[in-house]
Amino acid sequence: MTMDLSLNIRGQYPQGDDMPARLEELLEQVRLAEQLGFKAITKSQHYSSTPFQEIQQIPFLSRAAAEVKNLKLITSITLLPLHKPLDLAEQLAALDLISGGNLIFGTGLGYREVEFRAFGTTQSARVQRLEENLEAIRQLWTEDTVTMVGSHFELIEATCSLKPIQNPHPPIWLGANADIAIERAARLGDSWMINPHNRIDTIVKQIETYKRALDKAGKPFPDTLPISREMFVGKNREDAIRQAEPYVAAKYRAYHEWGQDKQMPEGDDNLGMAYEELQDGRFIFGSVDEVAEQIITLAKATGVNQLGCPVQWVGMPQSHVIEQMHLMAEEVLPLVRQGL
Amino acid sequence: MSMDLIMVLRGQYAAGEDMEQRLQDLSDQALLAMKLGYWGVAVPSHFSGAPLQYFHQTSMLAYLAAQVRDIKLISAVNLLPLHKPMDIAEQYAAIDVMTGGNFIFGTGIGYRDVEFKGHGSPMAERGRRFEENLEAVRRLWTEETVNMVGSHFELVGANCPLKPIQRPHPPFWIGANADIAIRRAARVSDAWIINPHNKIETILRQMEIYKQTLDECGKPMPKDLPMMREIFVARTRDEAIRLARPYLEAKYKTYHQWGQDKAMPKGDDDLGMDFDELLDDRFVFGSVDEVAEQIIALQKPIGFNLLFCGIQWVGMPHEQVTEQMHIMAEDVLPKVRQGL
Repeated sequence: MTMDLSLNIRGQYPQGDDMPARLEELLEQVRLAEQLGFKAITKSQHYSSTPFQEIQQIPFLSRAAAEVKNLKLITSITLLPLHKPLDLAEQLAALDLISGGNLIFGTGLGYREVEFRAFGTTQSARVQRLEENLEAIRQLWTEDTVTMVGSHFELIEATCSLKPIQNPHPPIWLGANADIAIERAARLGDSWMINPHNRIDTIVKQIETYKRALDKAGKPFPDTLPISREMFVGKNREDAIRQAEPYVAAKYRAYHEWGQDKQMPEGDDNLGMAYEELQDGRFIFGSVDEVAEQIITLAKATGVNQLGCPVQWVGMPQSHVIEQMHLMAEEVLPLVRQGL
Repeated sequence: MSMDLIMVLRGQYAAGEDMEQRLQDLSDQALLAMKLGYWGVAVPSHFSGAPLQYFHQTSMLAYLAAQVRDIKLISAVNLLPLHKPMDIAEQYAAIDVMTGGNFIFGTGIGYRDVEFKGHGSPMAERGRRFEENLEAVRRLWTEETVNMVGSHFELVGANCPLKPIQRPHPPFWIGANADIAIRRAARVSDAWIINPHNKIETILRQMEIYKQTLDECGKPMPKDLPMMREIFVARTRDEAIRLARPYLEAKYKTYHQWGQDKAMPKGDDDLGMDFDELLDDRFVFGSVDEVAEQIIALQKPIGFNLLFCGIQWVGMPHEQVTEQMHIMAEDVLPKVRQGL
């Protein structure tokens, strides 16, 4: 077993913040990630994300691509039901080229009403749209001419104006919280992006769901199985919890208000609980040794081999982010690799 | 009167061309435009562009933002009726932030069936979708919270938390060929991008429509008024025609096949004619002196102060493009400025 790190660029800032300056900081994080040996960066996608502001996903990754050579760029995730496959296939193909063939297309359903309505679609159409959009994008990437009538688009001898460099196409990873979505990830994707919200015991159960679905689809276990976790390295566990509390508590309050937890499996579907309870079994906090141990335990229980580090929360100063990146790459990761 | 140049990074390449290398060319051309004192760089948008290949507009603009400073980056044009305003508002606000407030939002209505169908957007509704999308983008960029029900989207307590740097918003320019679209450009935008396809006599007539509509709206003539022309400079006019012909002939054949000319006013709505006839009164070809004279002769009755230089065509080698860029900026422009 082994382990790699990805830097999850959350990039959310309070309204009124100086965004050109914040963008420069994010690009510094991207360059540092490459220097420190992170394998990938990920960028999320949200629209209408009050009270936070952020740089849209694909423009951000296209901009970041100009800074680095060897990092995988992961859309984590693109809200597929909102988009038109022709637009997205061409946009992502451009990103694959710009990044020298380093794109991983992470995608999923989304869950916020304000987004569905703004894109002229509905929650209830989201699964159908995800499946047909994914099929259309795959065809546009791999076939010269595509004719396919979807529920919200018609490709009539359409072409993708640029093919991705990666052959046959960039890896397609699906983010999934609910069991049914995990089964879909096994069926349609090249990997499952394990979400950061569920408790670890929930995930261990879901891994079994995923494996059974892979068996059913006749597919092997993926080479890369990524997970993201909230994490914080301090002098000791109490110190980490204390330092992270203001940031994490605010973030999860927003998730709860947005309705993220409604997507999670029963019995583990409330992110509105108190901070103490929330972090128990869900977040990775502690000293270097403690964090490494928790990651080893997680990897052994689940088989994950890429760990997404969303080390930056809203309100966290850049110096703090940089420090956490160094700690994760230089101190925690070697211990984890040793222990696996 | 003054004059400045805008480099059109048309960026269309034949099937089979190495697009990683072409990306480098485009990036070099943008950088050269900056060094030569061009006012701006424009990036077009098309979908399903076979037999040509090219980069998606947003990915390209974000990537270019990493290469250049202190030069305008222009979407020319974004095909607004295809898209959802929330998507456009958030992505192009990001571009404005990345360019340090140097983005100009050029839009147009589009004319290709394959693009409309591919985006699930009926061509018959393009005028309406264009206007409501532009209104929604404007509101998302300038208001905290937007409630607006469009024909194909619903903004319900929606917001674009990342605002453009430019206040109230980046300039809106509209590319327009048809009379009705020119009236719209006067009514709802900050400038009409005078199109490259119509004949000069058509444009003079349309300029009157534009001015009249501005008067009706109580708006002044824009401070920046751009016009696009296909241009080629050689030792003589005959040589210019001979050298440019293979590229431009192919390009206009494609326009004709795509149906661009159907979007042009009656009596000047055929781009399928013979090349000799096509270039008459439409393209700017000649020696340095002749090209400068033609630009001056165009400028005086029309009054534009920004010239979109269509000097990069499919199949034209990078070195020839950069040579034309040098000649336009170093030889032609000083003469034009002297003559105005």
